[in-house]
Amino acid sequence: MNKSHPLTVLFRLGTFVLLPLMVALSAVWWFKGASGEGTLVRFANALLTSFTLMSFVLLFTLFVYGDARKRPIAPLFGMCLSGLIGAGLTVYFLSQGELLMEDNGSVRAQALSNIIRFGTTMIGLGLAGMVVAGALFSSVMSGPRNTILFEEE
Amino acid sequence: MEEATQAFVFFWLAGLFLLFGFMLSFFSKVHWQRRAGLFLFGAGLLSLMATPWTLPFSPSSAFGHLLGSLIGPSVLLGVGFYQITFSGNVPVGKLGPGDRKIGYVMVVGGVLWLQGMHWWHLTPTYPDEVNRYWLIFWPTMLLGVLAISSGAYGVLAMVGVQRQKEQRLMGGVAFFALYSILVGAFFDGPNVNSERFVSQVFLAAADVFGALVGALFAVLVFALVLVVYERQQPDPDRLEPPNAEQLTQASRMIAQQMEGGVEDE
Repeated sequence: MNKSHPLTVLFRLGTFVLLPLMVALSAVWWFKGASGEGTLVRFANALLTSFTLMSFVLLFTLFVYGDARKRPIAPLFGMCLSGLIGAGLTVYFLSQGELLMEDNGSVRAQALSNIIRFGTTMIGLGLAGMVVAGALFSSVMSGPRNTILFEEE
Repeated sequence: MEEATQAFVFFWLAGLFLLFGFMLSFFSKVHWQRRAGLFLFGAGLLSLMATPWTLPFSPSSAFGHLLGSLIGPSVLLGVGFYQITFSGNVPVGKLGPGDRKIGYVMVVGGVLWLQGMHWWHLTPTYPDEVNRYWLIFWPTMLLGVLAISSGAYGVLAMVGVQRQKEQRLMGGVAFFALYSILVGAFFDGPNVNSERFVSQVFLAAADVFGALVGALFAVLVFALVLVVYERQQPDPDRLEPPNAEQLTQASRMIAQQMEGGVEDE
Protein backbone atom coordinates (compact mmCIF):
# COMPACT_ATOMS: atom_id res chain seq x y z
CA MET A 1 0.00 0.00 0.00
CA ASN A 2 1.21 3.48 -0.85
CA LYS A 3 1.80 5.41 2.39
CA SER A 4 1.62 9.21 2.28
CA HIS A 5 3.60 11.54 4.51
CA PRO A 6 1.51 12.64 7.57
CA LEU A 7 1.93 16.31 6.60
CA THR A 8 0.61 15.57 3.10
CA VAL A 9 -2.42 13.83 4.62
CA LEU A 10 -2.99 16.78 6.97
CA PHE A 11 -2.69 19.24 4.09
CA ARG A 12 -5.19 17.27 1.96
CA LEU A 13 -7.63 17.03 4.86
CA GLY A 14 -7.24 20.75 5.58
CA THR A 15 -7.98 21.47 1.93
CA PHE A 16 -11.13 19.35 2.05
CA VAL A 17 -12.34 21.22 5.17
CA LEU A 18 -11.35 24.77 4.24
CA LEU A 19 -11.90 24.91 0.47
CA PRO A 20 -15.73 24.59 0.56
CA LEU A 21 -15.84 27.22 3.33
CA MET A 22 -13.74 29.57 1.22
CA VAL A 23 -15.92 28.89 -1.82
CA ALA A 24 -19.10 29.66 0.17
CA LEU A 25 -17.69 32.86 1.69
CA SER A 26 -16.20 34.02 -1.64
CA ALA A 27 -19.49 33.39 -3.44
CA VAL A 28 -21.45 35.36 -0.84
CA TRP A 29 -18.86 38.17 -0.85
CA TRP A 30 -18.68 38.26 -4.67
CA PHE A 31 -22.42 38.38 -5.30
CA LYS A 32 -23.57 40.37 -2.26
CA GLY A 33 -20.52 42.59 -1.72
CA ALA A 34 -20.53 42.37 2.09
CA SER A 35 -18.25 44.87 3.84
CA GLY A 36 -16.88 42.39 6.35
CA GLU A 37 -16.94 45.10 9.01
CA GLY A 38 -16.05 43.88 12.48
CA THR A 39 -14.79 40.45 11.36
CA LEU A 40 -11.19 41.09 12.45
CA VAL A 41 -12.34 42.20 15.91
CA ARG A 42 -14.56 39.12 16.12
CA PHE A 43 -11.67 36.88 15.03
CA ALA A 44 -9.32 38.33 17.66
CA ASN A 45 -11.92 38.10 20.42
CA ALA A 46 -12.78 34.50 19.47
CA LEU A 47 -9.09 33.56 19.34
CA LEU A 48 -8.31 34.96 22.79
CA THR A 49 -11.46 33.50 24.37
CA SER A 50 -10.92 30.11 22.78
CA PHE A 51 -7.27 29.98 23.87
CA THR A 52 -8.12 30.90 27.45
CA LEU A 53 -11.09 28.57 27.85
CA MET A 54 -9.40 25.65 26.05
CA SER A 55 -6.36 26.05 28.32
CA PHE A 56 -8.61 25.66 31.37
CA VAL A 57 -10.44 22.69 29.80
CA LEU A 58 -7.10 21.01 29.05
CA LEU A 59 -6.09 21.76 32.63
CA PHE A 60 -9.06 19.62 33.72
CA THR A 61 -7.89 16.76 31.47
CA LEU A 62 -4.53 16.79 33.28
CA PHE A 63 -6.30 15.28 36.29
CA VAL A 64 -6.91 12.17 34.15
CA TYR A 65 -3.28 12.26 32.97
CA GLY A 66 -2.24 12.60 36.62
CA ASP A 67 -3.91 9.27 37.47
CA ALA A 68 -1.24 7.47 35.42
CA ARG A 69 1.71 9.68 36.40
CA LYS A 70 1.73 9.97 40.23
CA ARG A 71 -0.18 13.29 40.13
CA PRO A 72 2.59 15.70 39.06
CA ILE A 73 2.19 19.38 39.88
CA ALA A 74 4.35 20.85 37.10
CA PRO A 75 1.96 20.30 34.13
CA LEU A 76 -0.97 21.59 36.21
CA PHE A 77 1.03 24.70 36.98
CA GLY A 78 2.00 25.04 33.29
CA MET A 79 -1.56 24.89 31.99
CA CYS A 80 -2.85 27.12 34.79
CA LEU A 81 -0.21 29.66 33.76
CA SER A 82 -1.28 29.29 30.12
CA GLY A 83 -4.93 29.98 31.01
CA LEU A 84 -3.99 32.95 33.17
CA ILE A 85 -1.79 34.38 30.38
CA GLY A 86 -4.77 34.03 28.00
CA ALA A 87 -7.07 35.79 30.48
CA GLY A 88 -4.45 38.51 31.06
CA LEU A 89 -3.97 39.09 27.32
CA THR A 90 -7.76 39.28 26.85
CA VAL A 91 -8.15 41.90 29.57
CA TYR A 92 -5.10 43.83 28.30
CA PHE A 93 -6.30 44.03 24.70
CA LEU A 94 -9.89 44.80 25.73
CA SER A 95 -8.58 47.69 27.84
CA GLN A 96 -6.90 49.32 24.81
CA GLY A 97 -9.78 51.65 23.96
CA GLU A 98 -11.85 50.59 20.96
CA LEU A 99 -9.35 47.98 19.71
CA LEU A 100 -11.37 44.86 20.53
CA MET A 101 -14.54 46.39 21.96
CA GLU A 102 -17.86 45.68 20.24
CA ASP A 103 -21.30 46.82 21.42
CA ASN A 104 -20.43 46.58 25.12
CA GLY A 105 -19.82 49.35 27.60
CA SER A 106 -17.10 47.82 29.76
CA VAL A 107 -14.21 45.34 29.61
CA ARG A 108 -16.09 42.93 31.87
CA ALA A 109 -19.24 43.05 29.75
CA GLN A 110 -17.19 42.43 26.57
CA ALA A 111 -15.29 39.51 28.15
CA LEU A 112 -18.52 37.88 29.38
CA SER A 113 -20.15 38.49 26.00
CA ASN A 114 -17.16 36.77 24.33
CA ILE A 115 -17.62 33.72 26.57
CA ILE A 116 -21.34 33.42 25.76
CA ARG A 117 -20.65 33.84 22.04
CA PHE A 118 -17.95 31.17 22.25
CA GLY A 119 -20.54 28.88 23.88
CA THR A 120 -22.98 29.60 21.04
CA THR A 121 -20.28 28.81 18.46
CA MET A 122 -19.51 25.53 20.23
CA ILE A 123 -23.20 24.58 20.30
CA GLY A 124 -23.47 25.35 16.56
CA LEU A 125 -20.39 23.27 15.74
CA GLY A 126 -21.50 20.49 18.13
CA LEU A 127 -24.90 20.19 16.51
CA ALA A 128 -23.26 20.30 13.06
CA GLY A 129 -20.96 17.46 14.13
CA MET A 130 -23.94 15.48 15.43
CA VAL A 131 -25.79 15.86 12.12
CA VAL A 132 -22.81 14.80 10.01
CA ALA A 133 -21.79 11.93 12.30
CA GLY A 134 -25.41 10.77 12.56
CA ALA A 135 -25.86 10.77 8.79
CA LEU A 136 -22.54 8.98 8.26
CA PHE A 137 -23.13 6.24 10.83
CA SER A 138 -26.74 5.74 9.68
CA SER A 139 -25.43 5.09 6.19
CA VAL A 140 -22.54 2.87 7.33
CA MET A 141 -24.85 0.69 9.45
CA SER A 142 -27.54 0.53 6.77
CA GLY A 143 -25.35 -1.14 4.15
CA PRO A 144 -24.43 -4.82 3.92
CA ARG A 145 -21.85 -5.96 6.44
CA ASN A 146 -18.36 -5.65 4.96
CA THR A 147 -16.14 -8.72 5.21
CA ILE A 148 -12.38 -8.69 4.97
CA LEU A 149 -11.08 -11.25 2.54
CA PHE A 150 -7.57 -12.53 3.25
CA GLU A 151 -5.51 -13.81 0.37
CA GLU A 152 -4.39 -17.40 0.77
CA GLU A 153 -0.71 -17.73 1.48
CA MET B 1 -30.81 38.91 46.06
CA GLU B 2 -28.86 41.50 44.06
CA GLU B 3 -29.03 41.26 40.28
CA ALA B 4 -25.29 40.57 39.94
CA THR B 5 -25.48 37.75 42.51
CA GLN B 6 -28.56 36.31 40.80
CA ALA B 7 -26.74 36.38 37.44
CA PHE B 8 -23.72 34.66 39.00
CA VAL B 9 -25.76 31.89 40.63
CA PHE B 10 -28.29 31.17 37.88
CA PHE B 11 -26.09 31.74 34.83
CA TRP B 12 -22.34 31.63 35.41
CA LEU B 13 -22.30 29.04 38.18
CA ALA B 14 -24.79 26.97 36.17
CA GLY B 15 -22.50 27.23 33.12
CA LEU B 16 -19.57 26.06 35.24
CA PHE B 17 -21.67 23.13 36.53
CA LEU B 18 -22.54 22.23 32.94
CA LEU B 19 -18.91 22.23 31.79
CA PHE B 20 -17.51 20.54 34.89
CA GLY B 21 -20.32 17.95 34.92
CA PHE B 22 -19.76 17.12 31.26
CA MET B 23 -16.03 16.65 31.77
CA LEU B 24 -16.50 14.60 34.94
CA SER B 25 -19.04 12.27 33.32
CA PHE B 26 -16.90 11.98 30.20
CA PHE B 27 -13.44 11.47 31.69
CA SER B 28 -13.94 9.91 35.11
CA LYS B 29 -13.66 6.14 35.50
CA VAL B 30 -15.38 6.08 38.90
CA HIS B 31 -19.07 5.21 38.70
CA TRP B 32 -20.37 7.65 41.35
CA GLN B 33 -18.30 10.49 39.90
CA ARG B 34 -19.80 9.87 36.46
CA ARG B 35 -23.30 9.96 37.95
CA ALA B 36 -22.49 13.13 39.89
CA GLY B 37 -21.14 14.62 36.65
CA LEU B 38 -24.37 13.81 34.81
CA PHE B 39 -26.38 15.35 37.67
CA LEU B 40 -24.29 18.55 37.58
CA PHE B 41 -24.63 18.68 33.78
CA GLY B 42 -28.43 18.32 33.96
CA ALA B 43 -28.80 20.84 36.79
CA GLY B 44 -26.60 23.37 34.96
CA LEU B 45 -28.50 22.92 31.71
CA LEU B 46 -31.89 23.33 33.41
CA SER B 47 -30.73 26.44 35.26
CA LEU B 48 -29.40 27.98 32.03
CA MET B 49 -32.62 27.21 30.17
CA ALA B 50 -34.65 28.76 32.98
CA THR B 51 -32.80 32.12 32.78
CA PRO B 52 -35.59 33.85 30.75
CA TRP B 53 -37.67 33.45 33.95
CA THR B 54 -34.95 33.68 36.64
CA LEU B 55 -32.92 36.51 35.02
CA PRO B 56 -35.36 38.43 32.80
CA PHE B 57 -33.35 41.65 33.36
CA SER B 58 -30.06 40.20 32.02
CA PRO B 59 -29.15 40.23 28.28
CA SER B 60 -27.36 36.88 28.90
CA SER B 61 -30.75 35.21 29.39
CA ALA B 62 -31.10 35.28 25.57
CA PHE B 63 -28.54 32.45 25.58
CA GLY B 64 -30.79 30.37 27.86
CA HIS B 65 -33.69 31.14 25.55
CA LEU B 66 -31.66 29.88 22.58
CA LEU B 67 -30.83 26.65 24.44
CA GLY B 68 -34.53 26.09 25.14
CA SER B 69 -35.39 26.80 21.50
CA LEU B 70 -32.84 24.24 20.27
CA ILE B 71 -33.86 21.38 22.57
CA GLY B 72 -36.72 20.24 20.30
CA PRO B 73 -34.84 19.91 16.99
CA SER B 74 -31.73 18.54 18.77
CA VAL B 75 -33.70 15.75 20.43
CA LEU B 76 -35.46 14.92 17.15
CA LEU B 77 -32.14 14.73 15.29
CA GLY B 78 -30.29 12.84 18.02
CA VAL B 79 -32.98 10.24 18.68
CA GLY B 80 -33.78 9.99 14.97
CA PHE B 81 -30.20 9.18 13.96
CA TYR B 82 -29.96 6.73 16.89
CA GLN B 83 -33.09 4.90 15.67
CA ILE B 84 -31.80 4.70 12.08
CA THR B 85 -28.29 3.62 13.08
CA PHE B 86 -29.37 0.92 15.53
CA SER B 87 -31.97 -0.56 13.22
CA GLY B 88 -29.17 -1.33 10.76
CA ASN B 89 -26.47 -4.01 10.82
CA VAL B 90 -25.60 -3.97 14.53
CA PRO B 91 -24.57 -7.18 16.29
CA VAL B 92 -26.62 -6.57 19.47
CA GLY B 93 -29.57 -4.41 20.47
CA LYS B 94 -30.98 -4.18 16.97
CA LEU B 95 -34.17 -2.13 16.66
CA GLY B 96 -37.09 -3.06 14.39
CA PRO B 97 -37.95 -1.72 10.91
CA GLY B 98 -40.74 0.41 12.44
CA ASP B 99 -38.16 2.24 14.57
CA ARG B 100 -36.19 2.94 11.42
CA LYS B 101 -39.17 4.65 9.80
CA ILE B 102 -39.81 6.67 12.96
CA GLY B 103 -36.11 7.64 12.91
CA TYR B 104 -36.37 8.95 9.34
CA VAL B 105 -39.50 10.95 10.24
CA MET B 106 -37.72 12.42 13.31
CA VAL B 107 -34.61 13.43 11.34
CA VAL B 108 -36.68 15.06 8.58
CA GLY B 109 -38.78 16.78 11.28
CA GLY B 110 -35.62 18.06 13.04
CA VAL B 111 -34.14 19.45 9.80
CA LEU B 112 -37.46 21.09 8.82
CA TRP B 113 -37.80 22.57 12.31
CA LEU B 114 -34.33 24.17 12.09
CA GLN B 115 -34.98 25.45 8.57
CA GLY B 116 -38.38 26.72 9.73
CA MET B 117 -36.60 28.78 12.38
CA HIS B 118 -35.03 30.79 9.57
CA TRP B 119 -37.61 30.56 6.80
CA TRP B 120 -40.87 30.49 8.74
CA HIS B 121 -42.36 32.01 11.89
CA LEU B 122 -40.48 29.66 14.25
CA THR B 123 -37.52 32.08 14.64
CA PRO B 124 -36.51 32.38 18.33
CA THR B 125 -37.68 35.82 19.40
CA TYR B 126 -36.53 37.24 22.73
CA PRO B 127 -37.80 39.47 24.31
CA ASP B 128 -39.43 41.22 21.32
CA GLU B 129 -36.81 40.91 18.57
CA VAL B 130 -34.91 38.01 16.95
CA ASN B 131 -32.71 36.36 19.58
CA ARG B 132 -29.20 37.72 18.88
CA TYR B 133 -27.60 34.36 19.71
CA TRP B 134 -29.79 32.68 17.10
CA LEU B 135 -28.21 35.04 14.54
CA ILE B 136 -24.81 33.66 15.59
CA PHE B 137 -25.90 30.03 15.92
CA TRP B 138 -27.58 29.44 12.55
CA PRO B 139 -24.76 30.58 10.20
CA THR B 140 -22.22 28.85 12.49
CA MET B 141 -24.11 25.58 12.25
CA LEU B 142 -24.43 25.82 8.46
CA LEU B 143 -20.70 26.60 8.09
CA GLY B 144 -19.93 23.76 10.53
CA VAL B 145 -22.01 21.23 8.59
CA LEU B 146 -20.32 22.34 5.35
CA ALA B 147 -16.79 22.03 6.79
CA ILE B 148 -17.30 18.79 8.73
CA SER B 149 -19.14 16.96 5.94
CA SER B 150 -16.47 18.06 3.44
CA GLY B 151 -13.81 16.82 5.85
CA ALA B 152 -15.66 13.50 6.22
CA TYR B 153 -15.83 13.28 2.41
CA GLY B 154 -12.06 13.77 2.30
CA VAL B 155 -11.39 11.15 5.00
CA LEU B 156 -13.61 8.63 3.18
CA ALA B 157 -11.79 9.36 -0.08
CA MET B 158 -8.40 8.88 1.55
CA VAL B 159 -8.94 5.84 3.79
CA GLY B 160 -12.38 4.44 2.95
CA VAL B 161 -12.76 1.12 1.14
CA GLN B 162 -16.02 0.59 -0.78
CA ARG B 163 -17.51 3.71 0.81
CA GLN B 164 -18.75 5.44 -2.35
CA LYS B 165 -22.31 5.56 -0.99
CA GLU B 166 -21.18 7.34 2.18
CA GLN B 167 -19.01 9.69 0.11
CA ARG B 168 -22.01 10.65 -2.01
CA LEU B 169 -24.06 11.20 1.14
CA MET B 170 -21.41 13.49 2.66
CA GLY B 171 -21.18 15.37 -0.63
CA GLY B 172 -24.98 15.77 -0.56
CA VAL B 173 -24.97 17.05 3.04
CA ALA B 174 -22.21 19.56 2.19
CA PHE B 175 -24.11 20.72 -0.88
CA PHE B 176 -27.31 21.13 1.18
CA ALA B 177 -25.45 23.32 3.71
CA LEU B 178 -23.87 25.39 0.91
CA TYR B 179 -27.26 25.76 -0.76
CA SER B 180 -28.85 26.88 2.55
CA ILE B 181 -26.14 29.54 3.00
CA LEU B 182 -26.52 30.86 -0.55
CA VAL B 183 -30.33 30.88 -0.46
CA GLY B 184 -30.25 32.71 2.89
CA ALA B 185 -27.82 35.25 1.39
CA PHE B 186 -30.07 36.02 -1.58
CA PHE B 187 -33.61 35.78 -0.19
CA ASP B 188 -35.18 37.43 2.86
CA GLY B 189 -36.74 35.30 5.58
CA PRO B 190 -39.82 36.56 7.44
CA ASN B 191 -37.71 37.71 10.41
CA VAL B 192 -34.11 37.85 9.14
CA ASN B 193 -33.38 39.65 5.89
CA SER B 194 -30.61 38.61 3.51
CA GLU B 195 -28.33 41.59 4.32
CA ARG B 196 -28.36 40.77 8.00
CA PHE B 197 -27.80 37.07 7.28
CA VAL B 198 -24.79 37.84 5.05
CA SER B 199 -23.12 40.02 7.70
CA GLN B 200 -23.78 37.30 10.31
CA VAL B 201 -22.25 34.63 8.02
CA PHE B 202 -18.98 36.58 7.89
CA LEU B 203 -19.01 37.21 11.64
CA ALA B 204 -19.75 33.51 12.26
CA ALA B 205 -16.84 32.54 9.98
CA ALA B 206 -14.58 34.89 12.00
CA ASP B 207 -15.86 33.26 15.21
CA VAL B 208 -15.22 29.74 13.89
CA PHE B 209 -11.73 30.48 12.54
CA GLY B 210 -10.81 32.40 15.69
CA ALA B 211 -12.04 29.58 17.92
CA LEU B 212 -10.13 26.97 15.88
CA VAL B 213 -6.86 28.94 15.88
CA GLY B 214 -7.18 29.68 19.61
CA ALA B 215 -7.89 26.02 20.39
CA LEU B 216 -4.92 24.97 18.23
CA PHE B 217 -2.60 27.30 20.16
CA ALA B 218 -3.93 25.93 23.47
CA VAL B 219 -3.34 22.33 22.33
CA LEU B 220 0.20 23.25 21.20
CA VAL B 221 0.94 24.79 24.61
CA PHE B 222 -0.55 21.68 26.26
CA ALA B 223 1.69 19.39 24.19
CA LEU B 224 4.71 21.59 24.95
CA VAL B 225 4.01 21.50 28.70
CA LEU B 226 3.77 17.69 28.67
CA VAL B 227 6.90 17.25 26.53
CA VAL B 228 8.94 19.54 28.79
CA TYR B 229 7.67 17.70 31.89
CA GLU B 230 8.32 14.22 30.46
CA ARG B 231 11.85 15.17 29.34
CA GLN B 232 12.72 16.22 32.87
CA GLN B 233 11.78 12.81 34.27
CA PRO B 234 14.63 10.40 35.09
CA ASP B 235 14.93 7.36 32.84
CA PRO B 236 13.17 4.25 34.19
CA ASP B 237 15.35 1.57 35.81
CA ARG B 238 16.78 -0.73 33.18
CA LEU B 239 16.46 -4.49 33.70
CA GLU B 240 19.44 -6.80 33.41
CA PRO B 241 19.59 -8.62 30.08
CA PRO B 242 18.19 -12.20 30.24
CA ASN B 243 20.63 -14.93 31.20
CA ALA B 244 21.12 -18.18 29.30
CA GLU B 245 18.63 -20.13 31.43
CA GLN B 246 15.86 -17.53 30.90
CA LEU B 247 16.56 -17.47 27.16
CA THR B 248 16.30 -21.25 27.00
CA GLN B 249 12.99 -21.18 28.88
CA ALA B 250 11.63 -18.46 26.59
CA SER B 251 12.65 -20.33 23.44
CA ARG B 252 11.01 -23.52 24.82
CA MET B 253 7.72 -21.65 25.42
CA ILE B 254 7.82 -20.02 21.98
CA ALA B 255 8.44 -23.40 20.38
CA GLN B 256 5.43 -24.85 22.26
CA GLN B 257 3.23 -22.02 20.99
CA MET B 258 4.47 -22.37 17.42
CA GLU B 259 3.75 -26.10 17.35
CA GLY B 260 0.18 -25.48 18.45
CA GLY B 261 -1.99 -27.54 20.74
CA VAL B 262 -5.50 -28.87 20.66
CA GLU B 263 -7.66 -26.87 18.24
CA ASP B 264 -10.46 -24.72 19.63
CA GLU B 265 -13.97 -24.95 18.29
